[in-house]
Amino acid sequence: MSYQLTSSFLGFFIAGIILWLIRRDLLHSRHAIWWLVVAISIVLLGIFPTVVDWLATHLGVHYPPTLIFILGMGFILIKVITIDLHQSDLESKVRRLAQRLAILEAEKNNK
Amino acid sequence: MIPAKNEVNTIGQIVSEIKELFPITVVVIDDGSNDDTAIVALNAGAIVLPMTFSLGAWGAVQTGLRYAEQYGFKIAITMDADGQHKVDSIPTLLEKFEDKQSDVVIGSYIERGSPSRHLAWSFFRKLSGINLEDLTSGLRAYNHKAIELLSSKAASLLDYQDLGVLLLLHRAKLRIVETPIFISPRINGHSRIFSSWWAVSRYMLYTSILCLAHFKLFK
Repeated sequence: MSYQLTSSFLGFFIAGIILWLIRRDLLHSRHAIWWLVVAISIVLLGIFPTVVDWLATHLGVHYPPTLIFILGMGFILIKVITIDLHQSDLESKVRRLAQRLAILEAEKNNK
Repeated sequence: MIPAKNEVNTIGQIVSEIKELFPITVVVIDDGSNDDTAIVALNAGAIVLPMTFSLGAWGAVQTGLRYAEQYGFKIAITMDADGQHKVDSIPTLLEKFEDKQSDVVIGSYIERGSPSRHLAWSFFRKLSGINLEDLTSGLRAYNHKAIELLSSKAASLLDYQDLGVLLLLHRAKLRIVETPIFISPRINGHSRIFSSWWAVSRYMLYTSILCLAHFKLFK
């Protein structure tokens, strides 16, 4: 029972931080959805850690913790690549804005 | 179109020389200079596009191309600000447009010296499938079709006016031709690409990835 208590406590703690960040408007609502899902999964896994064992046996994974690591790393990879995509999009927008600004400024100066 | 970053020693002379010889609009893109490049260029009769922060060589050139596109210019010629390119190369480039068989004219200078550099270029020619002598020349003339393509969003994430730009043009089936030009030794400044070994390796890797990303599109 005691390890389940620890994992639920950890789950609630992490979820609490995420919810607090969302409430303080430090996270854009678009990212908030992702992090809410993460918070909920952490709480559920914290309360019912045996879900992993159950899932692992049904997926044919002999050592359940690997499943958690693989899934976790997979989701982190997805998240990181979305950040880079978003970042590239922003870079392109900032560049085009700077270019537009330069053209507008030239118009103003040469009048 | 002359992208310039801290080229106060040369820019004035280049602009006034062009203004003297040809009845064309000269646009200087001031890529975040710390010196008086913008003022000198303005006094010499150029239209100055002042960048709020440095966008790098290609970002500056693209600003000029967007300007050209917005104001409906038919042909845009890009030129370096360090005094390497001679003003009398301009008619040489324009001549090539006369038969209407090309969309882009590159003023190419076939470098002597440094065999490692030659090796690098022939590697990139193989990798990209683009058979041009001078892949990095900053002296280029673009017609309206090319201006339209290169001022678009698709070209905004490029960093240099070289292979990336050529690949984009090639993919859009625009016709690129070369004409030999002479260049004078740099009066001031140094190549932005070949400034250090670290910069060279980064450039090689960046360009290889760019070529590989477009690889399947060529046969």
